[in-house]
Amino acid sequence: MNMHKDNMKNEKNINLMDDNAASNLMVEEQIARNIVELLNNRTQHLSMAEEQRLSVARNLAVNRLAGLQAQAAGDGGINQGGHVLSWFGRHVGQYFEQHRVMSAALVVIAMLLTFFAVQQFGFNNNLENSDAFLLASDLPPEAYADKGFVAWLDTN
Amino acid sequence: MATPKELSDFLAAVERRAFKQTAYAVRDDHAALDIVQDAMMKLAEKYGDHPAGEFPMLFQRILQNTMRDFWRRQKVRNLWTTLLSSFGGNDAEGEDRDPLETIDVEDDSDEPSAQLARSQTIQLIERALEKLPARQREAFVLRYWEEMDVAETAEIMGCSDGSVKTHCSRAVHALAIELKKQGLDKLGLSNAIFSK
Repeated sequence: MNMHKDNMKNEKNINLMDDNAASNLMVEEQIARNIVELLNNRTQHLSMAEEQRLSVARNLAVNRLAGLQAQAAGDGGINQGGHVLSWFGRHVGQYFEQHRVMSAALVVIAMLLTFFAVQQFGFNNNLENSDAFLLASDLPPEAYADKGFVAWLDTN
Repeated sequence: MATPKELSDFLAAVERRAFKQTAYAVRDDHAALDIVQDAMMKLAEKYGDHPAGEFPMLFQRILQNTMRDFWRRQKVRNLWTTLLSSFGGNDAEGEDRDPLETIDVEDDSDEPSAQLARSQTIQLIERALEKLPARQREAFVLRYWEEMDVAETAEIMGCSDGSVKTHCSRAVHALAIELKKQGLDKLGLSNAIFSK
């Protein structure tokens, strides 16, 4: 019986604490609402210079968006990021648009690789031509390495 | 994708609040205007292709991050100023103040408190807001001024829902205590908040 009474008492205490917490929360929110109402009132009384500056900033942002959208529309939907790499997909295009340094580095690397590949191909081609010339020649290859033979050719 | 008109309408609706919120945080109207402009441009450039419904959350997040960037730059600049002034032997007391840290409550006993007019009350609130620690002010502004729910506020602030509630509660208490010094009954606020 006593235990039951204790339980009832505890439940009552918990309920009272919950009520207090809810009441405090309501009071807090009421105070916050009143403060915010005053702050909102304050925002209606900005100086002329501040209002103009905000208006200019807003127009800049809106014009920027309009410019970006016009550029995207002008690219015919294929090149939405304004970048050749957008052909690999819109998000890829946006990535390269936002990481211009990385894009430039990639282009330079690609150019260097192409240059070395062309060089290598040209070198191999020259070697093949030299080998073919030596093999098809009437003279044996050793003759071209003989300095005396070259001197004899010059004198005759 | 949002249209330029939707962006314009959205910015027109929030720009004044954004400016005042930033001004309370950085305590410099010119810097606040620059920060708001930066945030607007970032929203247009990076998130212009998002639906207009996402703008409030995105804009607040950009604004808060731009403010943090400003504070970081200020901190570095103040560090250099302190170092240079220490070489020059000048007194640089107060210049190394970190706005990210808790701001001490100052004595405002010289303020007129007998007849608190509405404009004076607003000024008091503004000053009280400026004195709040950065995280408390951020939570209060997002939760009550921007009317975001706890989850949205927590997402922008990068903390848990519980932290948001704690910050909000502490902010309201600090503001209420600060206002009570100047005559709380003028605001029509209850005294119950102080009986906790």
